[in-house]
Amino acid sequence: MSAEAPRAGVDHLARTDEAALFERLSRSNLVTTWRWYLGVAAAGAVLLWGLIVFLYMAMTGMGVTGYNRPVFWGLYEASLVFWIGLSHSGTLISAILRLTHADWRAPVLRGAEAMTAFTLMVGGLIPIVHLGRNWRVYYALPYPSSRELWPNMRSPLMWDAMAITTYLLGSLTFLYVGMIPDLALLRDKSAGWRRKFYSALSLGFRGTHAQWRRYHVASTLFAILIIPIAVSVHSIVSWDFAMAKTPGWHSTIFAPYFVVGAIFSGIAGVVIVMAILRKVFRLESVLTPLHFDNLGKLLLTMTLLWGYFYFTEFLTVWYNRNPEEWEVFSSYAGPYLPLFLTMIVCNFVIPFPMLCLKRVRRSISLILVPACSIVIGMYAERLLIVVPSLARRNDPFIWASYFPTWVEFSVMAGAAAMFVLLYMLFAKFFPIMAISDIKERLFHATDRTIGGTTVESIAQVEGEEEARA
Amino acid sequence: MSTVIVGLFNNVSAAAKAARDLQALSLPAGSVTTISAVPLPDGSVVTDPAPVRFPKIVIAGWFVGAAAGLGLTLATYMLYPLVTGGKTIVSVPPTLIITYEVAMLGALLATLFGGGRELGLLRFPPKTIHDPRIHDGKIALCARVEGDDQAGRAIDAMKDAGGIDVRPEEGEL
Repeated sequence: MSAEAPRAGVDHLARTDEAALFERLSRSNLVTTWRWYLGVAAAGAVLLWGLIVFLYMAMTGMGVTGYNRPVFWGLYEASLVFWIGLSHSGTLISAILRLTHADWRAPVLRGAEAMTAFTLMVGGLIPIVHLGRNWRVYYALPYPSSRELWPNMRSPLMWDAMAITTYLLGSLTFLYVGMIPDLALLRDKSAGWRRKFYSALSLGFRGTHAQWRRYHVASTLFAILIIPIAVSVHSIVSWDFAMAKTPGWHSTIFAPYFVVGAIFSGIAGVVIVMAILRKVFRLESVLTPLHFDNLGKLLLTMTLLWGYFYFTEFLTVWYNRNPEEWEVFSSYAGPYLPLFLTMIVCNFVIPFPMLCLKRVRRSISLILVPACSIVIGMYAERLLIVVPSLARRNDPFIWASYFPTWVEFSVMAGAAAMFVLLYMLFAKFFPIMAISDIKERLFHATDRTIGGTTVESIAQVEGEEEARA
Repeated sequence: MSTVIVGLFNNVSAAAKAARDLQALSLPAGSVTTISAVPLPDGSVVTDPAPVRFPKIVIAGWFVGAAAGLGLTLATYMLYPLVTGGKTIVSVPPTLIITYEVAMLGALLATLFGGGRELGLLRFPPKTIHDPRIHDGKIALCARVEGDDQAGRAIDAMKDAGGIDVRPEEGEL
């Protein structure tokens, strides 16, 4: 952090020019440029187009999509898995970094948590989009009605509804609770309607010693709770597929494979979002190459894990040569070859060697190459999971191909625009940087001289209760 | 409302010295606290005597959620039986999954509401003690006092330790 004053010891709360730090971290809230309006207008226009096309599809019927016998899951379901997967890393990374007291976490937390919340909102809408007769979505709600209809709890799709709802509520709560001290800061620094707005949202938080102590316990509890929920969500998304006796889906490895894939694409998403935030809000001194280096190392680990899982899955099918499954896998060398090659190249061939290099991990423009490549590769992977298994199902007489129509592309473009729009609005009205966490980290940082060099040292507050005892 | 002496301090050491001097006034436990922009380690300036209780509410919330999830699935099997081969299917794995998800939801909500309650959120008394200058790196040391004598001694203790803008205020701590 460039504006830091020399640190003699952990004593002064203000390690920097506080006004400059606040201005730098709250730039997104304080300054509104024409680019923001342009971005909102563009994302809004695409979202509007997506909504119009969705209404057209709802009124006309699902026949306007590329769905046909036997492929009734396609781009929408692949997008559902993709968006839920993207949601994985934000809150999960944030929770793990909080629990492990990773001292570089502070600037990454908020942007990642917001990414989770908005990708989940988008992903959660997709099952409703692909439902057909969308207005009957309330049939899925468990309430006594004269229709004598009740959701079938044995269906993995119902587990999905439960899991996504829990994760969405958990992620929103995690995001909101993490923001409360920053909302209190904005309340104290603003005037007019903004002051009223932030006063209401900060819920009367003042920063008394007792409040901070309980706040930390609550944050830790949220972090502990959200990790198993995150793992369960993508496991359940995988069971949407694995519980069916469809070749290519019915696999015991699917749940951990999906979780790994989700974290993989999620970290790539976090890298992209962080790079954009850094550029747009001029956060170069806060989001440093060190943060990208650490995220790059996580991404490298997940690249290897993803490669390991995919190879394991492929190897067992290769040796087994179960005809039904083999037909699905062999189609990867046929009509799905471009998709398969995209997946392998983008998920492994490009990112693995690049992320091994420190020079790439520490360069923001270079690390975007493997990050973007992974997002593309994982989308291809989702399509490869969903489509070939249905197109090459057990009975060869009904084998068919699938290609999305302009309707699916438009609706999914609208979904992507919805994510962008929500993120832009969030960045405008809420603190996109975890200001209190950053200040806390600065407070705990001190310089320590070892021989002929001076290194930064972070004081960790651990075992307070034991110390008191 | 009670009288609170508020003093601003530039650093933790000065605030800690003032807090130590305030101990000589024999103020009741919990009547001296800090207001700061970042959390201070417990004991660095003041100590919070009250135990943190809401994790117990979180455990209770988990069990309430588990009971709700279990009830939802079991009630579904009973009220809307799916008769297969002449018998109703009561499937254990889905029951476990729904129970787990609703249990975790219960624990999350209990953390939110239990934590919020103990944090004193959503309580808006007519006047609370606060100083926005904490965001400029200052620490506000606050002592709830009774009587003019105690107030005067608290003000002296804070000023002697280097307190800035030491003043009495009426409000909730």
